[in-house]
Amino acid sequence: MWNRFLNSTLLLAAFLEFSYIALAQTYGTPGYSPGAWKPDELPKELSQPKPFNARELSGVWSTPTTPGYFERHSLDDKWIETTDKKVPPQMRSNTSPPPMTEWGKAKFEANKVSYGPRAIEPELNNDPVSQCEPLGYPRDLWEANLRPFEFIQTPNRVLQHMQYHDTWRTIWTDGRALPKDPDPAWYGYSIGRWEGDTFVVESVGFDDRTWLDHFGNPHSDQMRLVERYRRIDKDILKLDMTLTDPKAYTKPWVADTITFVNPKVAIFEEICSPSEEHRFNDAIRDESKAKSKP
Amino acid sequence: MRRIFVISPALTVAIFILGAPLFAHHGTGVAYQEDKWLTVKGTVTEWIWSNPHCGILFDVTDEQGNVAHWGAELGNPHQLSAAGFSKDVLKPGDKVTVTGHPSRSGAPRIQFHHMLLSDGRTLTIGGVKGNGEKADTEY
Repeated sequence: MWNRFLNSTLLLAAFLEFSYIALAQTYGTPGYSPGAWKPDELPKELSQPKPFNARELSGVWSTPTTPGYFERHSLDDKWIETTDKKVPPQMRSNTSPPPMTEWGKAKFEANKVSYGPRAIEPELNNDPVSQCEPLGYPRDLWEANLRPFEFIQTPNRVLQHMQYHDTWRTIWTDGRALPKDPDPAWYGYSIGRWEGDTFVVESVGFDDRTWLDHFGNPHSDQMRLVERYRRIDKDILKLDMTLTDPKAYTKPWVADTITFVNPKVAIFEEICSPSEEHRFNDAIRDESKAKSKP
Repeated sequence: MRRIFVISPALTVAIFILGAPLFAHHGTGVAYQEDKWLTVKGTVTEWIWSNPHCGILFDVTDEQGNVAHWGAELGNPHQLSAAGFSKDVLKPGDKVTVTGHPSRSGAPRIQFHHMLLSDGRTLTIGGVKGNGEKADTEY
């Protein structure tokens, strides 16, 4: 009996591992869009190599790390465990948020999360995402570990199209300065310029109702972001980000360098529907806490 | 009375740690025992194909004829499309065998990992990237 149990268990483990390996071998069909266009329905020229231009950011980008047990830890290009599973040492975060101000601490404590070491039951959290509220920036960017974003470069703007929640961020490149006293916006106000082959983006005017990440790290309306993008290869984009927010943190938060790759897929419509999320919560999620019913 | 419905002792509550990644959405680690496995067989009552989460409602009948209303939690349509799912993959009345992680509370809820359909196909989310990698759904 024990041998049968062991054999079945090993067999199940083997085919799960095999399915994972098989996936890696099917990776990357340019323009592929799950649930819509199949590879044989796409123009053939999509798969042709294109010349690489360091000052052309247009394209779809995603993080190369397979998501799964671990969630991106905010500004670090590392991961922290969200459950009792163990994070390999090379994936552990080496840095942590800078010390928070009293305002920052209070906001952090008020943010009830369902991820990471402070996780509580989903129905008890106050994470904006649970209500399909705007993720804001930079939180939406961290979702690129699961969903890609797209840069669209035009003569006077760079548009950043986030797959998750299907949102757009405008980065003005027409020479304007940042607004001096802007009304808060979910995705802030951004301007960009080229310094050599580095695209530098500065942003202000963020609405402080959004979180920095799903671990509840806060930011205020005083947050300023500086992002430095470098396309170092045809399919590789590097990002260095510094967050300065004296109302929430006692010193700047300098991120680890984040690497994005071209996942060779098209952006997929991924709108968070409040009514559909509520329906799901009512039917499935909230019931997971209920005791078995006769 | 708490009831657990099983189809195979060898596949049920098998405890092991795998390298294959799973989807993580908010609170799954809190609501489900992600280091335990459970397999249940039932009849679909509703296939919820919705953003940002999908779900299966299905009824499981034990040997005494008692019916329990189960629910399985899945990821979003984007991830599932990449894994070979679609809005038409299930319909009420379909027989389905679902394997995944049991709820911590003992409620008849399961965090979906893969399912066996009545036509013999198996669909899995195991190892599927959300960035559009095509899933190999046949194995």
